[in-house]
Amino acid sequence: MRSSPFKGEVGGGWANLTEQYFIPGPQRGYDMSYRITETCNGCGACVKLCPVGAITGEKKNLHLIDSLLCIDCGACGRICPVTAVKDSFGIVCERIKRNAWEKPQIDLKTCMPCGICIETCPVNCLAFAEPVLLVRELHAYPFLKEDKRCIGCGFCASECPVHAITMSSPSVTD
Amino acid sequence: MNGGYMGKILWVDLTVNEFREEAIPAEIYEKYLSGTGLAAWLLSERIPTGADPLGPENILAFVSGLLTGTGSLFTGRWMVAGKSPLTGGWGDANCGGTLSPAIKRCGFDGIFFTGVSEKPVYLLIDHGRPELKDAGHLWGKDTAETEEYLIAESGGHARVAVIGPAGENLSLISGICNDRGRIAARSGLGAVMGSKRLKAMVLNGKKRIPVYQRAEVQRLSRQCNKWVQLQPPFISGPMAAYVGTIMRILPTQMAMEGMVYKILLKKWGTVSMNQMSVEIGDAPVMNWKGSNRDWGIRKSLSVNPDAFKSREKVKYHCYSCPLGCGGVCVTKGPYGDVHKPEYESVLALGGLCMNGDLESIFTMNEMLNRAGMDTISAGGTIAFAMECYEQGILTREDLDGLDLTWGNAAAMITLVEKMIKREGVGDLLADGSLAAARKIGKGAESYAVHAGGQELPMHDGRNDPGFNVHYYVEAAPGRHTIGAQLYYEMFQLWKRVSGLPRPPLFYHKDRKYVADEEKAVMAAACSRFMNVANGAGLCMFGLFLGAARIPAFAWLNAATGWRRTPEEYMAIGAAIQTLKQSFNIKHGVEPRSFQVVDRVVGRPPQNRGANKGRTMDIEKMRSDYWRQCGWDPKTGHPDGEVTPSRPSH
Ligand code: SF4
Ligand code: SF4
Ligand code: SF4
Repeated sequence: MRSSPFKGEVGGGWANLTEQYFIPGPQRGYDMSYRITETCNGCGACVKLCPVGAITGEKKNLHLIDSLLCIDCGACGRICPVTAVKDSFGIVCERIKRNAWEKPQIDLKTCMPCGICIETCPVNCLAFAEPVLLVRELHAYPFLKEDKRCIGCGFCASECPVHAITMSSPSVTD
Repeated sequence: MNGGYMGKILWVDLTVNEFREEAIPAEIYEKYLSGTGLAAWLLSERIPTGADPLGPENILAFVSGLLTGTGSLFTGRWMVAGKSPLTGGWGDANCGGTLSPAIKRCGFDGIFFTGVSEKPVYLLIDHGRPELKDAGHLWGKDTAETEEYLIAESGGHARVAVIGPAGENLSLISGICNDRGRIAARSGLGAVMGSKRLKAMVLNGKKRIPVYQRAEVQRLSRQCNKWVQLQPPFISGPMAAYVGTIMRILPTQMAMEGMVYKILLKKWGTVSMNQMSVEIGDAPVMNWKGSNRDWGIRKSLSVNPDAFKSREKVKYHCYSCPLGCGGVCVTKGPYGDVHKPEYESVLALGGLCMNGDLESIFTMNEMLNRAGMDTISAGGTIAFAMECYEQGILTREDLDGLDLTWGNAAAMITLVEKMIKREGVGDLLADGSLAAARKIGKGAESYAVHAGGQELPMHDGRNDPGFNVHYYVEAAPGRHTIGAQLYYEMFQLWKRVSGLPRPPLFYHKDRKYVADEEKAVMAAACSRFMNVANGAGLCMFGLFLGAARIPAFAWLNAATGWRRTPEEYMAIGAAIQTLKQSFNIKHGVEPRSFQVVDRVVGRPPQNRGANKGRTMDIEKMRSDYWRQCGWDPKTGHPDGEVTPSRPSH
C-alpha cells in the first residue's frame, strides 16, 4: 500500500493526528474585503482591473467579490463609474479618473535597496533598473517600469521599511 | 489575527495529482516557528521509518520564513527539507533569492510534495490555484533555461524553483535553484525532487502577508539598516590577504567583530575572504592535506577579491536584503552574464584542487549552477579524485584518460561535465566522494573528506575547532552555516540572551583548542540561534551584524504579536534541534556514526603551514555538546520524551 501523509491511510499515531487539522477550503489572515453594493450596473470595469481575479459576474448583472481572494488594493473602488464599491470598513469608495491615480515616487537616496516593493506589487509593475540608471555603487534600484499597469494601491509605499516611496498623483508632480 | 505566518500549508501528492491544504494550528508556530522548524515537525511525524529518500514516501518541503514579507530585513531565505539521500537522515538546504516571499504570497508557509509522478511535471500556482503541468519538454534542460521559459510562459513575473540535469539524474550531490543559479545545494535534495519527477515549482502569488505591527517591524528595520549602510572606504582586494597573514602570525586572537565582515561582504561579497582565509588557515588546501605554504598569496592572487569585483556588472540582493553580497558578473565564455561565484565555490574548485585559473572557476561554477549540482560537494569530490590519482588508486584509464593532476583546470572542466551527465567516471563521482570511495575500495575512503557522507565546506576546523564540532554534531552533518567559534563571536548573543559567555576581546590562540565546557555552551547556542533563524527565514550574514544591531527577536515579537524573551526563542531553537536529532535516530542514523576524518581534526597534526601542530579532542567536544543539548553524552540520543520508542536514561 502506498502511504500518503495527508490521507491517513497509514497506521500509526500521526495519521489520526493529521485528520483533525484539516479544514475545508482556504483560510485567510485578513477577514476584511471590499464589497459591491446593489448600485452595481454590471459594466465589468473592475473585473479587468482586479489583480487577483476576485471579481465575477455576468455583464449587466450585479457583480461579486470573493472575500477570500480580495487583497484590499482598492482598484475596483477607484474605477467603478457608479460608486458601487465599499471598502473593508464599509465606506463607499470615491471614483477617481484613471490618469489621476496616485503613483509611487521612489527616493533613491533613502532606498537601501531591498526589493521589498518589487515583490509586493500585485501587478508586478516595479522592477530593478537597468545598470544605466544606477546612482550609487553597483546597486540596482527599483523604478516604475510599467506605469500604465500601476493600480495606485500604495502597497509598495506602505511596505517599504525606510519610507523611500511616496504616493502622489501625476497632476501634482508633473 | 495571526501575524507573520499564513497559517496553512499545501500538500501536493504527485502520484495521484491531488492537492490538499492543511491548516497549521497556532500552537505549532509558537512551538517551532515556521521555516525549517515547521518542516522538522511535519517531516518527523509523517515520513515513515525506513522510507526510501528517493521513493514516494519521502516528503520534499519548500518552506518560507516566519519573518519573510513582514518588513523585516535579511529575511528572504527559503529552505528545503526532506530525508537526505546523501546522509540518510535529516536533510535541509537554504537559499536566497526571491522565492521565499513568493511561497507566502501564494497563501502558504510551505509547499510539501509527496509521492512520485509518472511523467515529468511542474507545479504552477496561479491566483491561489495549484495545478500540475507536463514538463516533458523541459526535462534535460538546465536550470537557467528552464526558469526563463517557465517565467515567460506564466506571464513574465513568476518566481521559480527548479532542478537541472544533476537532480534529474539523481546525483546525490544535487540541489534546487532559483533566480538563475542561486541554489539550495546541500543534503542532496535535488535528487529527491528528481526522484519525484518534479522539474519545477512556478509561483504567481499575490496574497498579502499579515503582520501584527508592521510599523514596529519597519522601525526596527530602519535602525538595522543604519548599521548596514555604515561603509567606510576600504583597502584593496589583494591587501586583504595580508590582514590574514598578520592574523596568522600573531599569537593572540581578537574576538571577531561582525561589522568588519559586513563591510567586506558589502564591498566584495563572500569572495572577500578568498585569500584571507587561506592565510589564516581557515581554507582547506589540496584536499585538506595542504596549507597556505602550498597555496600562498602569490598563487592565489588570481582569485583575489578584486578579480571578481572588476567583472561585477551589478550587485545582486536577495529579497529584503539591504546588503547585497551577490553580484552579476560578465564572462567572456558562452554563458555571458553569470552569478558571481561564492567563496565556497571558488575555494572548492580552486585551492582545494590547487586550481588558480579564474576563468575555469567561473566556467565550472556556472556549469554546476545550471546543472543544479552543489559546488562544495563537486569540488570536494574532484579533490578526492585528484588525490586518489596521485596515490595511484585511480589510474588514467579509470579516469577515462584524464590527467587529473592538482590544478589541471582543463581536466577538471571535463570531469565536471562528466559528473553532470553521469558519463564514464562521472557516473562514479556524481554521488559524492564517500559513495565513490566505497565503490573504488583500495583504501580510497581515507581520502574522502566528509561528515556523514557529505563533503565538508571550505572552513578548516583545525583553525576554528567550532566548525568541526558542527560538522559532526548537526543532524544534517558537514555544514558551515550553523556555528563556529568565529560565528559565536560575531552573533554577539550574550548582548541579548542572558547566561551566555562573552569572549574576551583578546585571547591566546591556544584557547580555541581547549575542549572545555564553554565551547559546548557556545556551540549549542549557535545551533539554537540558527534554528530560530531558519524558522524566521533570516540570512546568517545579516546575523553577523551582532544581536544588538540586528533585532531578530524583537522583529519576531512585532511580526507575530507574541511577547517572548530571547531566552524563550533560544529554547524553541533547542526544541527544533532535538526534533532533527530524533529524526535521524528514527531513521536509523546514529549520531555516533558520523565518522570523523582524521585529517580534518589534525590526526596527525600538520607539520607546516597555518595550522601546524594543531589537533583537537573532537570526541570530547562532541560529547560535551550532546550534554549541553540535554542528550545522552555517550550516544547523542535525546531523552525518552522525544523518542518514545527508546527507554529514557
Ligand atoms: S522597499 Fe523601499 S528600500 Fe526597498 S527597494 Fe523598494 S524603495 Fe528601496
Ligand atoms: S501603487 Fe505600487 S504596489 Fe500598487 S500597483 Fe502601483 S507600483 Fe504596484
Ligand atoms: S547578505 Fe547576501 S545572501 Fe544574505 S540576504 Fe543579502 S544578498 Fe542574500
